[in-house]
Amino acid sequence: MRLLLVEDDVELAESLVERFREEGHDVVHVDNGLQGLTVAMRDDFDGIIMDRMLPGMDGLELVKAIRREKSTPIIYLTTMSGIDDRVQGLEAGSDDYLTKPFAFAELLARVRVMTRRSVTPSPTLCAGSIEMDLVQRSVKRRGQAIELLPQEFLLLQYLLRNANRAVTRKMLLENVWGIHFDPHTSVVESHISRLRARLNAGCDIDAIQTVRGIGYRLLAPN
Amino acid sequence: MRPIRIFKAETFRLAALFALLFLALTGALIGTVLWIVDGTQRSTLITANDADIATVINGFRDEGVHEAIEVVRQRIGTPAIAAKHKHTLDPDAYIVIEDSHGTVLVGNLFAVECHAGVFSVSMPPLLEGRRHRNILGRCVDITDGVSLFVGRDTATLTATHERIVRAFIWVALGTCGFAAIAGLILGRRFMARVDAIAQTCEAIVAGRLTERIPGRGRGDEWDRLARAINEMLDRISALLENLRQMSSDIAHDLRTPLTRLRNRLEDARARSESVQECSAAMSRAIDDTDQLLSIFAALLRISQVESGTRAQTFSSVCLSDLVDNMYQLYLPVAEDCRHALTRDVQDAVYIRGDEELLTQMFSNLIENAIHHTPENSNIHLSLHTSSSQVVVCVRDDGPGVPVDERDKVLRRFYRMAAGRSTDGHGLGLSLVAAIAQLHGAVLRLKDAQPGLRLELTFAKEKPPHK
Repeated sequence: MRLLLVEDDVELAESLVERFREEGHDVVHVDNGLQGLTVAMRDDFDGIIMDRMLPGMDGLELVKAIRREKSTPIIYLTTMSGIDDRVQGLEAGSDDYLTKPFAFAELLARVRVMTRRSVTPSPTLCAGSIEMDLVQRSVKRRGQAIELLPQEFLLLQYLLRNANRAVTRKMLLENVWGIHFDPHTSVVESHISRLRARLNAGCDIDAIQTVRGIGYRLLAPN
Repeated sequence: MRPIRIFKAETFRLAALFALLFLALTGALIGTVLWIVDGTQRSTLITANDADIATVINGFRDEGVHEAIEVVRQRIGTPAIAAKHKHTLDPDAYIVIEDSHGTVLVGNLFAVECHAGVFSVSMPPLLEGRRHRNILGRCVDITDGVSLFVGRDTATLTATHERIVRAFIWVALGTCGFAAIAGLILGRRFMARVDAIAQTCEAIVAGRLTERIPGRGRGDEWDRLARAINEMLDRISALLENLRQMSSDIAHDLRTPLTRLRNRLEDARARSESVQECSAAMSRAIDDTDQLLSIFAALLRISQVESGTRAQTFSSVCLSDLVDNMYQLYLPVAEDCRHALTRDVQDAVYIRGDEELLTQMFSNLIENAIHHTPENSNIHLSLHTSSSQVVVCVRDDGPGVPVDERDKVLRRFYRMAAGRSTDGHGLGLSLVAAIAQLHGAVLRLKDAQPGLRLELTFAKEKPPHK
């Protein structure tokens, strides 16, 4: 992946550039908004990571300016953790919003999910042996129908859309349940273990892999 | 009260302005009255003169100048003569017949020596110390060289004028006096109220933040203003208190976890002998940092909620769906923790609120119940409505909260002795209380015998039309 990082905190930026390179991604770093706009307009990137408060040009303005020309996926990194701040950021046109401080694994997972090639909407989702019919709201694994509760269905739907990519607990909470705070119980783990039990019934391959320290990944072996 | 200040008062200036305006209007009115009265009196006078002239001229036509003179003599004669000829005497009437040489043939006036027409003549006083008489009359030629003048004293006219003008002066003086007194009284009252408000503001500027403007309980515009200002001050002081609480929380209560983190790192540096041990200690330190960050997030969230600004973006929220979703979300967790989670939720109940905050509130309540009850406890969610209220209950059959602790558990960082062994930072219920308050909901902690019954009472909203 080729990414653009617009971040005025040089220490953080350097560490991020280094970590992304270790993961095999190329990162261009600029430290102010105006330069960010110039570079974002000139070159094509797979994704843009930007601070919300930037010298030269405010992050909100920058996103709006980029959105007039390009649909490059954008994720905000910010210390502004208010509910309104998140809504404002997303309304300006960013695709995701991550509050500082954050774990690098969280950012990486989000960037990977964000930059996936958008697929044409289809009434069915498939990953390996799992098939989901969004119209009938039915799920099959190896042709065997699986009964799911509504919330399990939504959870599997999100995992299927991001099959083969690691998704974090936080991403699941936000996207499946619309929860933007940190619960103090193992809500995600409990739901995953139930979904896993239903999917794996009568199968020897575990469909949902636990990625240590990050979250989960739906496996779709061909 | 300082006398100079009162003249600057708006009320006083208004009173003075109205007094002036009143004076000007009264002056105009009096002018008009004078003009009308004068005109009427003059025409009465002229009519009387003309009647006398006609009598004299009639006499002349019948029997010549001699008779005319006789008629005049009767008109101006003594009361005895008047009685004999059945005349009434007019003491104000002045009549004279004179020839072309200015010789008075008969009359009670000097020769006026004028041409025919209407005019005034001035008559010097007959006696020392009396006033000049001003006589308004008409002169006509009776025949060649003989002219008649009939006039009347305008004294009554002047007297009327003077009476009207005097009355006007009295009224004007009265008006000015009244305006001054009313202006002073009103100005004083105005000043007193303004002073009360100004004093309160000065007191607040000086740091006595609890000062409020005293109300007089009359419900007038001053009371309304005082109430509005007091409400504003209450709001500001609540926000200040919130901020102060927040700073003191950060200063005091974050010391504990920070100290723990520091000790852990120090221990790791002193005792770790292998890379694995060091790495394990670092993982724990990262966990501690996350814990600290979550405290920060919770504190920030509480303070955001308490600032009350979220209330501006309230919308219609289906509380039934929300509670049901929370039930679905926590059912697996509760089962994993060996708790029985049940629900009894009435359909399609709406309130005005913030969906995200309400979600967090119920999440905190359910998690609290899961954390603070032993295994195999029952947790029951219920939502019921009365005519105007929505009551949501989270009930458990755990150890409950003693009566004297029920207020305390809502405080920040307060943790009951039994809860200190479990994870958590004592902010969950504080946030619940803040969110409830933002929604105007009443939060009650009751005894479920056994266990705790948390009751939230909201105002009901009509379901949105779709």
